[in-house]
Amino acid sequence: MANITKKVSWSSRGDESGGGERTPLLNGSEEVRYTRQLSGDGGMFHIGRLSTVDLEEDMTSDEDAGCPKEIPHNEKLLSLKYESLDYDNSENQLFLEEERRMSFLGFKCLEISRWVICGLIGFLTGLIACCIDIAVENLAGVKYFVVKQNIEKFTEVGGLSISLILWAVLNAAFVMVGAVIVAFFEPGAAGSGIPQIKCYLNGVKIPRVVRLKTLVVKVCGVICSVAGGLAVGKEGPMIHSGAVVAAGVSQGRSTSLKKDFKIFEYFRRDTEKRDFVSAGAAAGVSAAFGAPVGGVLFSLEEGASFWNQMLTWRIFFASMISTFTLNFFLSIYNKKPGDLSSPGLINFGRFESDSVAYNLYEIPLFIVMGAAGGLLGALFNILNYWLTIFRIRYVHRPCLQVMEAMLVAAVTATVSFAMIYFSNDCQPLGPDQSEDYPLQLFCADGEYNSMATAFFNTPERSVRSLFHNPPGSYNPLTLSLFTLTYFFLACWTYGLTVSAGVFIPSLLIGAAWGRLFGILLASITPDGSIWADPGKYALIGAAAQLGGIVRMTLSLTVIMVEATGNVTYGLPIMLVLLTAKIVGDYFVEGLYDIHIKLQSVPFLHLEAPATSHWLTAREVMSAPVTCFNRIEKVGTIVDVLSNTSTNHNGFPVVVPVAASDDMGKVCGLILRSQLIVLLKHKVFVELARSRLTQRKLQLKDFRDAYPRFPPIQSIHVSQDERECMMDLTEFMNPTPYTVPQETSLPRVFKLFRALGLRHLVVVDGENRVVGLVTRKDLARYHLGKHGLEEMQLAQT
Amino acid sequence: MYIFQVAALLIALLYYGNAQTFTVAVNSTILGSELSADGLKQLAAAVASQSPVFQPSRGSYFSLNLLSAFPEDLEVSDYCVELLAIFGQRYSTYVNCLVSAARPVKVCQNCYGTYDNLMEIYTNISSDQMGPGNVSCRDSLLRSDRLMLVFLLYNNLKDIWTGSECNSCVSLGLHSLTNDTLYFMATLNQSLRCFEKFQQGNHSALCKECKTTYRGLNELYSRMEKNRTLCIDIEDSMNMTRRLWSKNFNCSFPRAENVPVIAVSSFMLFLPIIFYLSSFLHSEQKKRKLIQPKRAKSNTSLVNIQDRLS
Repeated sequence: MANITKKVSWSSRGDESGGGERTPLLNGSEEVRYTRQLSGDGGMFHIGRLSTVDLEEDMTSDEDAGCPKEIPHNEKLLSLKYESLDYDNSENQLFLEEERRMSFLGFKCLEISRWVICGLIGFLTGLIACCIDIAVENLAGVKYFVVKQNIEKFTEVGGLSISLILWAVLNAAFVMVGAVIVAFFEPGAAGSGIPQIKCYLNGVKIPRVVRLKTLVVKVCGVICSVAGGLAVGKEGPMIHSGAVVAAGVSQGRSTSLKKDFKIFEYFRRDTEKRDFVSAGAAAGVSAAFGAPVGGVLFSLEEGASFWNQMLTWRIFFASMISTFTLNFFLSIYNKKPGDLSSPGLINFGRFESDSVAYNLYEIPLFIVMGAAGGLLGALFNILNYWLTIFRIRYVHRPCLQVMEAMLVAAVTATVSFAMIYFSNDCQPLGPDQSEDYPLQLFCADGEYNSMATAFFNTPERSVRSLFHNPPGSYNPLTLSLFTLTYFFLACWTYGLTVSAGVFIPSLLIGAAWGRLFGILLASITPDGSIWADPGKYALIGAAAQLGGIVRMTLSLTVIMVEATGNVTYGLPIMLVLLTAKIVGDYFVEGLYDIHIKLQSVPFLHLEAPATSHWLTAREVMSAPVTCFNRIEKVGTIVDVLSNTSTNHNGFPVVVPVAASDDMGKVCGLILRSQLIVLLKHKVFVELARSRLTQRKLQLKDFRDAYPRFPPIQSIHVSQDERECMMDLTEFMNPTPYTVPQETSLPRVFKLFRALGLRHLVVVDGENRVVGLVTRKDLARYHLGKHGLEEMQLAQT
Repeated sequence: MYIFQVAALLIALLYYGNAQTFTVAVNSTILGSELSADGLKQLAAAVASQSPVFQPSRGSYFSLNLLSAFPEDLEVSDYCVELLAIFGQRYSTYVNCLVSAARPVKVCQNCYGTYDNLMEIYTNISSDQMGPGNVSCRDSLLRSDRLMLVFLLYNNLKDIWTGSECNSCVSLGLHSLTNDTLYFMATLNQSLRCFEKFQQGNHSALCKECKTTYRGLNELYSRMEKNRTLCIDIEDSMNMTRRLWSKNFNCSFPRAENVPVIAVSSFMLFLPIIFYLSSFLHSEQKKRKLIQPKRAKSNTSLVNIQDRLS
C-alpha cells in the first residue's frame, strides 16, 4: 500500500496556497503527516485534502498490496504503451562502416534530398489543405442550402419544427460518418492531433499517430465534422496531417500500402524522421493560417529541444511551399488562377483603414481583455478536463462514442435553431451580400436574422463576419447569447471522437465577446464610435480567448499577426496573449497539456520540476537492470524479449567482472529492435562459422525493418538455435551515455532533453551497471499543488 | 428666389471643390437651415460674382478680382469660354434635378436626360478635336492647373451616376429607360394600387388580397437582382414597398409555432442527459492496472525525504 500510493510531498511553494489549516513545512508535525500517509487508514481526511486522486486510491485499494491494483483513470498516470523515440544515433560498427563507404558526393546528395523532401512535404500538405477546404465548402454549402430552402418553405406554411429536425438529422448524419471512421478504424485520429504531434516532437512515440491510415481518417473525419456543423475548426487537424505527410514522404515508402519506392532509405530512422515531422507540422500550420513564419515558430516552440539553423531554414522552406501550394490551387478553384491572395484555410481578411488603428490609451483595455481571455480560457479548460475524465472512464466503447458525437451534433443544431428562431435581431441586407446564407425567418422583407449569421454558417465564416462586418451589424444581446451558448458547445465538443480542432471555436468565442466589448465601449464613451471599432476588439478578444485556452506564446502571436496580415497589431496581440497566459496558468494548464496528461503520456517539459535537485539518479533509476553479455546465448535473449511483464527496450551490454558480482562493467547498449532484426536474420556465431559465404548484415537491414519491427512472438527460434551464441559487439552502441549515481534529477533531465536520450545507464565508481533511467522514470515527477508528486505507471 | 439661393450656394460649394458632390445636396439643406437668409445671400453673391462660369466677360473688371488680365496668348479662347458656360448651365440643371429627385430616389428616371446633356458637353470639352480657330479646349480648360476644377466637378457627378448604377436602368445612349425597368415600375404600381385600395380597412385583408401581386413583385426583384439590372431607383422603391408591407401593414410571417419548436428542442436537449446518465450508470468504469516499477529497494524516496527533512 505504502509503496504504491507513494506520494512525495516536498513543498516549498504550497504553503501560501495551502490555506490556514495546512501545517508549515519544517516543523514537528510534518512527521505525523508522513506516517499517516504511510499507514493509509486513519489519514483519510488529511490525504483526501491533498488531492482527489489520493482519496480514490485509498478507497479502492483496500485489498492487499501484492496483487495488481486497479484504479479509475486519472491524470496522474503514465501509460506503458508509449515508448520513446531513438533520437540518439547508435554509433555501432555498421554505422561507422557505412559512413566510411559514403563518398563526399553521397553526403551532398543527402542534403539535396532533404530539401526535396521538404518541398514535397509542403506541396502535399498544401494540396491536402486545399482538398479539405473545397470539400467542406461544398458539403456545407449543400447542407445549408437544403436547410435554408426548407426553412423558407415552412416559414410560410408553418411546421418549422420539421426544419429543426431536418437540420439536426443532417448534422448528425455527417457527424456519424466522421465519428464512425474515427472510432472504429483509427482512434488515433480523434481530436485536433496537436497534443499528439506535440508529444511526438517531444520524443514520445505515440502508436499509429503518423500512419497513412490515420491521415486518411483524419482528413475525411474533419470534413465530416465541420460539414456536420459541430463547433469545430479544420485548422488543428491540418497540423497533424502535415506531420503524417512528412513522416510518410521522408521514408519513401508506405508500410500500409506495402509499397516501397526505394528512395530516401537513409532517412529511415527516428532522428531524421522527427526532423521531417517538425517540418510537416510547420507546413500544416502554415497551410491552416497562411502563416509560414508562425508555422516554423510553432515547431520551434513545441519541439525546441532538438534544433539547428539549417533545419529551421528547411522547415521554413516547407512552410512557404505549403502556403504557396494552397494559395495556387485555391486560386484555380476560385477561377482566378495566379491570384495568390488567399494564403490560409482561415483567412481573417484584411484589417485596414484608420478605424482599426489603435492608440496608447487602448493598451490597458487590451490587457484587461487578455485577463478576461485567460479567465474564460481557464474555465473552458477546467470544464473540458472534467468532461474528458468522464469520457475516458465511462464513454469508452466505440458505439457509445459515435452516439455521443451524434448527440452533440443534433443538440448543436437544435440550440442554433432555437437561438435563431427566438431572436428578434433583424438587420438590413447589405449591398455586397457578405452573408452567404441569409435567413429571413420572421424579419421584415429585405432584412435578415442577425443571429443566423453567427449560427447558420461555418465557424470560419462567422469569425470573419465578426471581424469585418460594419459596426451595428450585431446587437449586444445577440452577441452575448451567442458567446454563452457557443462557449459551452465548443467546450462540450472538444474531446469527442471526431477529428476536429479547437482553434476556430476559440477564435469565434473570443471574437464574439470581443465585439461585444467593443460595442459596449463605444456606447459608454461619448465619442466612442471613432476609435472603438468593434472589429478591432473582436480580433483582440479572439486572440485573448485562444491564448487563454491553448497557452501558446510566440508562435500564436506570429500566427495571429500573419493571419491578419497586419504587423501593427503585433504589440497588442502579444500583450493580450501574455496576459492571458499568466492569468490562465494561475488556474490550470493549457488545453493541450491537459489532454497530454490525460493520455498518460510521459512528456518531458522544458525543465525538470523545481525543487527536485535533491533527487539523485539512484532514486530515479529503475533497478535491477536486465543486461546481456557481449556474447550471449540466443535462448536467454529470446526469453528476455518474450517476457511480457518486462517490456524493456534497451539492454546494457556488459563484460562480467568477478564471478561473485552479477553486475558487469558496461561496454555498450543494444536495443530491442536491433536484437529482433538479429534474431530474424539468425546472426549466430555458430552459423557464421559454418557458412562463410553468408552475407554480412548491414545497416540497411535494420532500416528495412523500421519502423514496424516484428514482435518477438513472430520470430521462430528452434530448440537447437536456442543453444547458439550471438555476438553483439558489432551491433551495440559502444559508447552509451552514462551518469554516476549521485547525479541530480535536473542534470539527468537536461541530458534527456538536450540529447534526446532514450536510455541512460547509471553506473557506480567502477563503471558497473547499477540502474537505467528512461523517459518514464523522469516524467513521473511533477510539481503538484503540494510539492513534488510522483505519478504511477499503469497499463492502458 | 429661395431655390436660386440654394442653387447658388450649391455652386459655391462646388466651386470650392473640397466637399464631395455627393454630400452637397445634404450639406446645402443643412446649411440653408442654419444660416440666416441674409448671410446666405451675401455668400452666394460673393462667390457667384467671382465665378467665371457666370460672368465670364465681366470677371476681370470686378473690384474683388485682384489679378489683372494675362497677355492674349495665355488667355482662354472665346470658344472655350463659351463651352465652359454651357457646361456650367447644364451642370447646374443636372444638380438641380438630382436634388429634387433625392428622396424618394428617382435620380435615374428623372435625370438621365440632363446627365446626357452634361456628358455631351464634357465630351466636347475633353475631345482633342480642334474647334474653330484651331484651339483645343481640353488642355486649356481641363489641365492647366493643379486643381483641374472642371474635371473634378464632372468626375464627382460621374461618381454619383455610377454609384447609383443608373446605367442598368437606362438603355444605351441614355435615351430611355430599359424595358425591364418600365415593367418593374408597372408591377410596382400595381402593388401600390392594391395597397391603396385596401389600406382603409383591416390590414389582414390587405395582406391576403395583395399577396399575389406583392409576391410577383418580390420575385421580379430577385430575378433582376440576380441579373444585376438594378439601379438605385428600383432598389429604393422596392425597399419602401417592403417596409410598407412588413412594418406598416405588418404582413410578415408571425412567430406562430413556439410550442412545437420548444417541444422538439427540449426533447433534443433531454437526449444527452439520458445518454450521460445511462452511460454513467450502466457502462462499467474503465480501470487502469497499476504496474509496480522496478526500483532499487534499499533506499526508497520516502525514506530519503524524511532523512533530508530532519
